[in-house]
Amino acid sequence: MKNMVEVKDLKKRYGDKQAVNGISFSVKKGEIFGILGPNGAGKTTTLEMMETLREIDSGSVIIDGVDVKKDPQAIKYLIGVQPQSPAFQDKTRLTEVVEMFAAAYGEKVDAMEFLRDVGLEEKAKAYVENLSGGQKQRLSITTALVHGPKVFFLDEPTTGLDPQARRNLWELIEKVRDRGISVIMTTHYMDEAEILCDRIAVMDNGEIIALDTPRNLVKQLLARGFKKSQEVQQANLEDVFIDLTGKALREGA
Amino acid sequence: MEPRKQTLRKALFTVAVFVRINTKRFFRDKTALFFTIIFPLIFLFVFGSLNSGGGDVSFNVAVINQSDSKFAQDFVKQSEDSKVLKVNKDITSLDEAKEKMSRSEIDAAIILPETFGDVKQDQTFPSGEAEIVYTQNNQASASALTSILDAQFKAVNGELVTTVTPFTVTGTQLNENSLSAFDYTFAGLLGFSLIGMGIFGPLNVFPELKKMGILRRLSTTPLRVWQYFLSTMIGQAAIGVISFAALFLVAIFVFHLEIVGNWFELILFLLLGMFTILGIGLALGGWAKNERQAAPLSNIIVFPMMFLSGTFFPRFLMPEWLQNVSAFLPLTPIIDGVRLIATEGKHFIDILPQIGLTGAWLVVIYIIAFRVFRWE
Repeated sequence: MKNMVEVKDLKKRYGDKQAVNGISFSVKKGEIFGILGPNGAGKTTTLEMMETLREIDSGSVIIDGVDVKKDPQAIKYLIGVQPQSPAFQDKTRLTEVVEMFAAAYGEKVDAMEFLRDVGLEEKAKAYVENLSGGQKQRLSITTALVHGPKVFFLDEPTTGLDPQARRNLWELIEKVRDRGISVIMTTHYMDEAEILCDRIAVMDNGEIIALDTPRNLVKQLLARGFKKSQEVQQANLEDVFIDLTGKALREGA
Repeated sequence: MEPRKQTLRKALFTVAVFVRINTKRFFRDKTALFFTIIFPLIFLFVFGSLNSGGGDVSFNVAVINQSDSKFAQDFVKQSEDSKVLKVNKDITSLDEAKEKMSRSEIDAAIILPETFGDVKQDQTFPSGEAEIVYTQNNQASASALTSILDAQFKAVNGELVTTVTPFTVTGTQLNENSLSAFDYTFAGLLGFSLIGMGIFGPLNVFPELKKMGILRRLSTTPLRVWQYFLSTMIGQAAIGVISFAALFLVAIFVFHLEIVGNWFELILFLLLGMFTILGIGLALGGWAKNERQAAPLSNIIVFPMMFLSGTFFPRFLMPEWLQNVSAFLPLTPIIDGVRLIATEGKHFIDILPQIGLTGAWLVVIYIIAFRVFRWE
């Protein structure tokens, strides 16, 4: 399958710190690609360069055949961006938020349809300041998709959400992928990466130190003779929590 | 349709949607409404009341009557009824009067000596000499007061002793288009409200939007800076028209402001002024990354304009060198131009210097604003 995103030898330097040090990877159409790594590994900088928010020192990012460095304005039509902590100007109704983002692309859309996609149709006339963290995340996702992008970026989308809201968001992200959109996301949660991502790049010190499917990465580790010190449990505490409180999304979540 | 035309149409559609929704948002925000519409009105009422009564000059005086004569008592009574004199009735002795004068609570004291108004022997009419006591600081008021009393006495003298007065002088008041203090105050107040809306508006909003990452998120969309600026300008103009309409209505109906100029020219010029001043706000707010950067710079730029451009007191009261400098501040030609059109009935052709200077600032300010704008 043809690659939707092609990153080659991408570099970024802040002062004397080489934040991103020559990374290369590609993302296929309709794939969820995860970028993992400790804080300061260069995940966000990488994303920002791809999103036209940071200038690229050297190397290239090609999205759907368009060079980010050469034509950032054209790239903006191809990408949707979910920031780490979505925020909206207050006193704005949800429908208006969707309308404004669509208008930023010169488009007129049916706001209700996009709110329905993320289960916010009941909140349509509410002001954004009355939304919970999870609802804001969902609103933000739908605003990032108003113009039908080909690549969708998410920066730590589930940080600070409760388990129900997280699972709901995972489902949404999978739905986006199923529409043929390539999803590129960063996360700190390994369970999230394991469940959600088709492929993972692990970054440290501005470099990609591993890149494969979650299953293959685990296999490779085991092949190197790794053994967990503890017996693997058949369930973990989160399974208990979900079993006790149910999977359904909570009011205001 | 040509693709280029279509692109422009789409770009303007973006602006239209932003204007519509942001204007709605403004009217939902009670605090913003208060500060842009009610706050300038409060100022108008305060300054308007201070200046009402227009050109009437009055003097605070003490009248110390040491005489028992009928004439002296009549004089005291007349003084108390006078519009020109405000008699402080609490003061009865010269010492008290001196103390009040030293604190500038009264301008002068009028002393009627014991013999004032007595009919002297071999005369058929009363006579006397009133004394005006004043301090060094009040020479101007005292000499004005002296001539007012002198004129009053002359009239009395004329009735008592008929004499021929070959030369007289009369003053004729010209009421035509003369500027009252309120005319200056009002033009200044419009300037003040322009600063409030145009500079403090974006200055308070932009850094907050940057902090929350809202502008950053917008920068990942194809939205251009000019579209964002233009939508802010149109929205601000709509709000400004409402705010100014309220100010004009109150000024006209409560403080009897007379607009002699052309309304169309006035509105056009006010819009030009508003866009110019808004440009300063867009430049400052667009540049500042956060409130801490915004505050000091705005003080450096706003305060000189607030005090030197004729917002709170007319520029003609300033020393000449300061007038020459302050003439080139962006707000000065706006305030002058508004006053010239509104209260002096001047036309665009008469105020070309003001239009030119404002227009030049507009260009300079927006070039800077576009250069320094940051999405985060």
